[in-house]
Amino acid sequence: MGKEPVRVLVTGAAGQIGYALVPMIARGVMLGPDQPVILHMLDIPPAAEALNGVKMELVDAAFPLLKGVVATTDVVEGCTGVNIAIMVGGFPRKEGMERKDVMSKNVSIYKSQASALEQHAAANCKVLVVANPANTNALILKEFAPSIPEKNITCLTRLDHNRALGQISERLNVQVSDVKNAIIWGNHSSTQYPDVNHATVKTPSGEKPVRELVADDAWLHGEFIATVQQRGAAIIKARKLSSALSAASSACDHIRDWVLGTPEGTWVSMGVYSDGSYNVPAGLIYSFPVTCRNGEWTIVQGLSIDELSRKKLDLTAEELTEEKALAYSCLS
Amino acid sequence: MEYLVLLQNGLVVLFTIAISWKLITYMRGSLKMEKEPMKVLVTGAAGQIGYAIAPMIARGIMLGPDQPVILHLLDIALAAEALHGVKMELLDAAFPLLKEVHATTDVTEACKDVNVAIMLGGFPRKEGMERKDMMSKNVPIYKEQASALEEHAASDCKVLVVANPANTNALILKEFAPSIPEKNITCLTRLDHNRALSQIAERLKVYVADVKNVIIWGNHSSTQYPDINHATVTTPNGERPVKELDTDDHWLKNEFINTVQQRGVAIIKARKASSALSAASAACDHMRDWVLGTPKGTWVSMGVYSDGSYGIPKDIIYSFPVKCEKGKWSIVKGLKIDEFSRAKMDATAKDLIDEKEVAHSCLN
Repeated sequence: MGKEPVRVLVTGAAGQIGYALVPMIARGVMLGPDQPVILHMLDIPPAAEALNGVKMELVDAAFPLLKGVVATTDVVEGCTGVNIAIMVGGFPRKEGMERKDVMSKNVSIYKSQASALEQHAAANCKVLVVANPANTNALILKEFAPSIPEKNITCLTRLDHNRALGQISERLNVQVSDVKNAIIWGNHSSTQYPDVNHATVKTPSGEKPVRELVADDAWLHGEFIATVQQRGAAIIKARKLSSALSAASSACDHIRDWVLGTPEGTWVSMGVYSDGSYNVPAGLIYSFPVTCRNGEWTIVQGLSIDELSRKKLDLTAEELTEEKALAYSCLS
Repeated sequence: MEYLVLLQNGLVVLFTIAISWKLITYMRGSLKMEKEPMKVLVTGAAGQIGYAIAPMIARGIMLGPDQPVILHLLDIALAAEALHGVKMELLDAAFPLLKEVHATTDVTEACKDVNVAIMLGGFPRKEGMERKDMMSKNVPIYKEQASALEEHAASDCKVLVVANPANTNALILKEFAPSIPEKNITCLTRLDHNRALSQIAERLKVYVADVKNVIIWGNHSSTQYPDINHATVTTPNGERPVKELDTDDHWLKNEFINTVQQRGVAIIKARKASSALSAASAACDHMRDWVLGTPKGTWVSMGVYSDGSYGIPKDIIYSFPVKCEKGKWSIVKGLKIDEFSRAKMDATAKDLIDEKEVAHSCLN
């Protein structure tokens, strides 16, 4: 007897990340190989024809798990009954645009989507904000959807987390699946802090700390951090397009681990509503190390934070506090 | 009495062997001994279909969730930077099953020891291009790649040609790689097959997973023949023929066929780009069913080297209904072919013979 289908909303679904993401969801990469899904795809009217093209392709692919597709430009129809919401849609930064301009465009989008989700989504809907500025868009969404539990609103830093694991695996010439417990702290921006002080590598002689195996603190505090922070720009330079494939894949990882649980002894990075842990100001959406169980995430507590890390944690918190102030000024 | 003792002892021995075997396989299972990685080549990997298929392969959709893979990505020199970008993204996604990625513009390096080859690369048809022009561009490409595969790929490498004209590109590849078993060279008609299934599902308002056994005959072109004469739907009352559930013969013989034949064009019209997502997904289905086997009672459509079945000329790559088992496909025999179907099957065969002639003329 098959499970009841889960409704998954993808906003901005006619775009690049949407095109990469929807076949992953339809194949069970996000929620498991035995979980039927119904896709809700939302985009703006200028993209309606392209959106319908995506729907046609999803039908053509004859995915066994895909029990229905709703392609719409109506936000209410898009949000109705959804259990999971992946917010890919937003206003991208164009050349010459000031930060305030980008912020003001996105604040209005996320305010209106907040209301729609609050009113029409299923109870306990899990939300993942991908569109940049991800943390602040998520914060706005949270503030205008007060009846959605604050623990249910998150933003994507799993891409940065996965990038950090990838860089370590290349440096140490090991399989990426043998590296774990990196942490991305803070804002999904250039102030993010990729921290491998607690990361480990599985070796034939057991789990060893990354710091010990790399034995090059200068690299870990310098080039490694810069590479992870700037990776998005590097992809754009190579592809002339942004990183849709890896962003979509990481969004699936984020939701899958949240819903199905993290493996024993492993944590991941998620942008979540800060409760003041690690002296990070409460009331921000900040990326922390978390474990997940029974559909809930919990911040990993008690990790030692050295002086260098402390500075970086505070720097990215400062940026988020500024972004929050800027966002609010757009609302007045 | 003696026999009884012998029998008893025999049973005890058998029982012990059975238990030991179970213990050993259980222990192997819990040691989680990983399979050897399979090497998968994707040509034209910097393009749209490549971008869609690479994460699918890396997630185990093509070869199974427990089969590690090594990706070989090949494209032309012009696309080298974009190709490198794809490699970077594959690393960034931290796929557990993806053991290595080799991104190269060198066809020898790309073909080395590959077990599976997905040929996406080819010269696309531009507006105003005659068939002969398109053919003359693709024939040299597939001739060269045939040699490289023949010399460097693993023996028993399974090849799937996607780039159009798929059937004829596959035929050229076969002709210039004589030591690759002819059964190992196929072309993609699974996209059309999946499109046919979903058109029926939409029409009958059932889940596509409950529709099966359509057939795509012939050329992956507008002469393809989507045939539902033997297709069935799983209903609460068991499996029923599609023809019984949809008695509108006119729709089945006209609009349905047209829709499936023209679907590629419809996607381009809507998206302003061709159907990368569904093509990539269908390529995964084709290869997965070939390697891991088709489900019981189900067949799929694959473009394969014709052995003359159903009165189809030999020596062309023609789409047939096939079942797959133990890594081999076999044509489903003995299906009844009515007059309408016969005409359509012959028309698409003729189309392929014409293409073959054009292709051969390009070689002179």
